Amino acid sequence: MRALVVESLEGPDAVRLADVAEPEGPHPRADGQRVLVEVHAAGIAFPDLLQTRGAYQISTPPPFVTGGEIAGVVLEADAGSGFAPGDRVAGMSIWGAAAERALAIPKFTVKLPDAMDFAAGAALWLNYSTAWFAIERAAVQEGEAVLVHGAAGGVGTAALDVLRGRGARSIAVVSSDEKERVAREMGADEVVRSTGPWKDEVRELTGGNGVQVVLDPVGGDRFTDSLRSLDQGGRLVVIGFAGGSIPTVKVNRLLLGNLTVLGIGMDPFDRRFPGTVRRIGDEVAAAAAAGQLRPYIGHRLAFEDGAEGLRILDRREALGNIVVDVRPDGAGAA
Amino acid sequence: MRALVLRELGGPDAAELGDLPEPEGAHPMAEGGRLLVEVHAAGVSFPDLLRSRGEYQMHPPLPFATGAEVAGVVREAAPGTGFAPGDRVAALVHWGGVAELALAMPQHTVRLPDGMSYAQGAALYLNYATAWYALYRAHVREGEAVLVQGAAGGVGTAALEIAAALGARTIAVVSSDAKERAARDMGAGDVVRSDGPWLEQVRELTGGRGVQAVIDPVGGDRFTDSLRALAIGGRLSVVGFTGGSIPEMKINRLLLRNLSVSGVEMAVMDTEVPGTVKMVNEAIQALAMAGRIRTLIGARLPFEDSAEALRILDRREAIGKVVVDVRPNGAGPA
Repeated sequence: MRALVVESLEGPDAVRLADVAEPEGPHPRADGQRVLVEVHAAGIAFPDLLQTRGAYQISTPPPFVTGGEIAGVVLEADAGSGFAPGDRVAGMSIWGAAAERALAIPKFTVKLPDAMDFAAGAALWLNYSTAWFAIERAAVQEGEAVLVHGAAGGVGTAALDVLRGRGARSIAVVSSDEKERVAREMGADEVVRSTGPWKDEVRELTGGNGVQVVLDPVGGDRFTDSLRSLDQGGRLVVIGFAGGSIPTVKVNRLLLGNLTVLGIGMDPFDRRFPGTVRRIGDEVAAAAAAGQLRPYIGHRLAFEDGAEGLRILDRREALGNIVVDVRPDGAGAA
Repeated sequence: MRALVLRELGGPDAAELGDLPEPEGAHPMAEGGRLLVEVHAAGVSFPDLLRSRGEYQMHPPLPFATGAEVAGVVREAAPGTGFAPGDRVAALVHWGGVAELALAMPQHTVRLPDGMSYAQGAALYLNYATAWYALYRAHVREGEAVLVQGAAGGVGTAALEIAAALGARTIAVVSSDAKERAARDMGAGDVVRSDGPWLEQVRELTGGRGVQAVIDPVGGDRFTDSLRALAIGGRLSVVGFTGGSIPEMKINRLLLRNLSVSGVEMAVMDTEVPGTVKMVNEAIQALAMAGRIRTLIGARLPFEDSAEALRILDRREAIGKVVVDVRPNGAGPA
């Protein structure tokens, strides 16, 4: 079968469309349950870029197939996996998605609502589950103000989309006109620029109090200003470090503001509290089925151009989600 | 009236028993008007030592009496304070405590249960309110394991008692045999030594999993190991930095294990979330009434010798609250 293969850990330029063996057995992280999916669309996201350099916390040795998310139709499913041949599904595969066939991980897989096409499905699980979990862990309440960094990115657009359904007020931080347009389209109530005096603008927008919650998939230098943007009792959720550098905080910054900084990592959380990931996936799928979620797909690439998705991420140019059309929509099994 | 007076910010040696005018009006930070207390016992603690040198954030004008806490009998109470003459009370006063009469802040005053002595009352409010709020912010629940740093200190011993009352299991971190005895006396479930392999011991004691919460009034070098001691989803409450140095944390430490770190400062939080202090007061009062609070008194001085109180703190000699008997127990109102 054809696949986008990471031949060596040298970044996006070492990714080629090539012939590889059909996937055998179960996905190594699938608790022994084989679910084989005929891939229609694959999602490429920030962890995939990190994996091309061996810089992600979960890895498989090269050569391996890139693509952390799949949307397609189940071809084979072990009994007990919760899926059956013919099911339209979407889910996180961690790697292996950008291929004609891929192994799904049942607990990271949901049934794709009928109204959602495969491209939207390939943009659903990872970013929406992450945003959903972050919003849950921050205990965002109706009426609270939430600052979203990297608001035009995959997690950022998903967070804006989820927040607009919850009666929270979102303030998006973006770095360009184009990203501002995306953030507004995804429901941002306010938009500020990371290159401008955004901290002061956030204060003004919140009557001097600051926001109750910051969702931060970016990290980097602006972390301290994020803490300064928080109201008394405010919560900052650390989602990742797309900005590259890992912030350090002097702990006394938290003390007088009664601030909380919390990290999120769904997979380890699920190992300790089994069922968390399943529940979140189901809640996201239910919201999608109810028409409440509209994943923003900023880049849609033909199968043979899929490696370009990794380069877009590398240049920090991604708008929303990046989807590779492995099978153009409507095409049946190969 | 007689009081332990500071006429200059010269540290412990500048404190002398002398005469001050009786307090007029209301405490400058009082909410609800004048509340005058006949002091039976006064608590002297670390902030008093800092204040004697001008190193604390809140200061009265010179000259002033030292002593941040009192227990005694209400002599005068403005309407709206919620108290009446004759009430036995315990209060945080910030300064002015080691004196025959002191002005209390109604919002930081609780009724002293009949079963508690004035000396215990002088050791009640500051540490128990702080510890209760730190445990509350860490969402400590029945059956969870709580690591208490500085467990023989004021906040530490209070945290041991309150955590036990909540049905949590406590692990105390102490630095000496004498402190271990104090922690055990105050109900510590397990005790580990800060100069030993305490992190490994904590892991062993928790079946490899780690604790659900850490209460940290110490800060300093062991902060990173406190994070390592947390189970997935664990919470750390930063209460202060009696260890002297302020820790820095790299934020990625929080990410994969879903840790959260919160700064805890009850009085400041009350400005944003009114009712915070009232909630804490009611909880402390209820625990005291239920006999769940014993308080640890490390040194007890007659009024005449009270100048020694700050020096005892300066030498870090006392394990438990330093209490001055302003009116020897049993004596009635003057």
